[in-house]
Amino acid sequence: MEFHSTPGEYDAINYVPHTESHGTKELWKTFWLLLGITILDFVIYFVMGPSGIRNTIFILFGLVKAYYIVGAFMHMKNEKVNLAMMIIVPTVFILGLIWVMLYEGGAITDLHTHDTNKAKTEVHK
Amino acid sequence: MSNHSEAAFEKQPMWAGGRSPFNISYGKLMMWIFLLSDAFTFSSLLVQYGAQRFSNVQTAVTTKWPDPASIFNHFPLMHGFHLPLLFVSVMTFILILSSVTMVLAVEAGHRNSKKEVQRYMFYTIIGGVAFLSCQAWEWVTFIHEGARLDGNTFGITKEGYDHLHSVGFGSHFEWDKAVDRTNGPVPFAALFFIVTGFHGFHVFSGVVINIVVYIMTARGVFERRGHYEMIEKAGLYWHFVDLVWVFVFTFFYLI
Repeated sequence: MEFHSTPGEYDAINYVPHTESHGTKELWKTFWLLLGITILDFVIYFVMGPSGIRNTIFILFGLVKAYYIVGAFMHMKNEKVNLAMMIIVPTVFILGLIWVMLYEGGAITDLHTHDTNKAKTEVHK
Repeated sequence: MSNHSEAAFEKQPMWAGGRSPFNISYGKLMMWIFLLSDAFTFSSLLVQYGAQRFSNVQTAVTTKWPDPASIFNHFPLMHGFHLPLLFVSVMTFILILSSVTMVLAVEAGHRNSKKEVQRYMFYTIIGGVAFLSCQAWEWVTFIHEGARLDGNTFGITKEGYDHLHSVGFGSHFEWDKAVDRTNGPVPFAALFFIVTGFHGFHVFSGVVINIVVYIMTARGVFERRGHYEMIEKAGLYWHFVDLVWVFVFTFFYLI
């Protein structure tokens, strides 16, 4: 950590904070964790039949993997909370996009299903 | 000026200038912001995949969404066996492994150990090239089975097939070969190529960046500079590619 009392001393472009090694133990732990979750993905895929619950498990596992990749591998855990908030909070917009697009997809399904039924009844009459 | 304590740092007004509010270098901050924007790009592609899949209905020309297990069930040198998910799991393993070697290179950089940085960067490049080779094999197999950007052998009814032929599309596959497949709409193959292709292009540029950084390390650029910050920036990009693959793997193969 360093700061400069006079603005002239601080070179925003070339400033590089001093970083220290935190050892490799945590990194290997993260690796085994990611590998374990991937193997679990593989096992669940064959043990469980396709279902909404299985899909939810896969998505949750994906988020857990994302947490460890960003937190440990990308060192987000060691960064300032300010930075973490600035990068992670805007991703809530993705949730909005997911909601809007899946709603749209579902609406298209309804539309098609409705039309197909209508076409069928007309043919049968 | 590095003798000041963290407490003194915290006391400084954050946005008054004279310090980095995030205590991070300019390049790393810009890399984070770029990755955020890239996350939006990838999520819009994946959400589009979700919307297509959600809106998929049985029509006169297409039937249900294809079951990935019946399509991506090949493994090199194991011709004729039904092995779903195996090859793509190997690819995931390769990418996770190369992520570890990358983060080990970053760690070695913190200790200013040029030799170790060089060694781990080399392993990372090998991992990236191995992943790209796997993806090339996957694509070749998929294309060989009749997948194209403008058509889909997986999931088309006889009426749909005849219609495609009457308008001049889909001349590259035979109906007889298509019927033994589970069914799905045309964007199935197109979305696969676009999303995995976009990810593969990221892996490719990541490998190029890693090679550049490796050469710079070997020539002692960072040693003269006094810090291995550039390894961290390359590492952020490389881990992001791994992060995206987690979701591509989940949505294209698992679900």
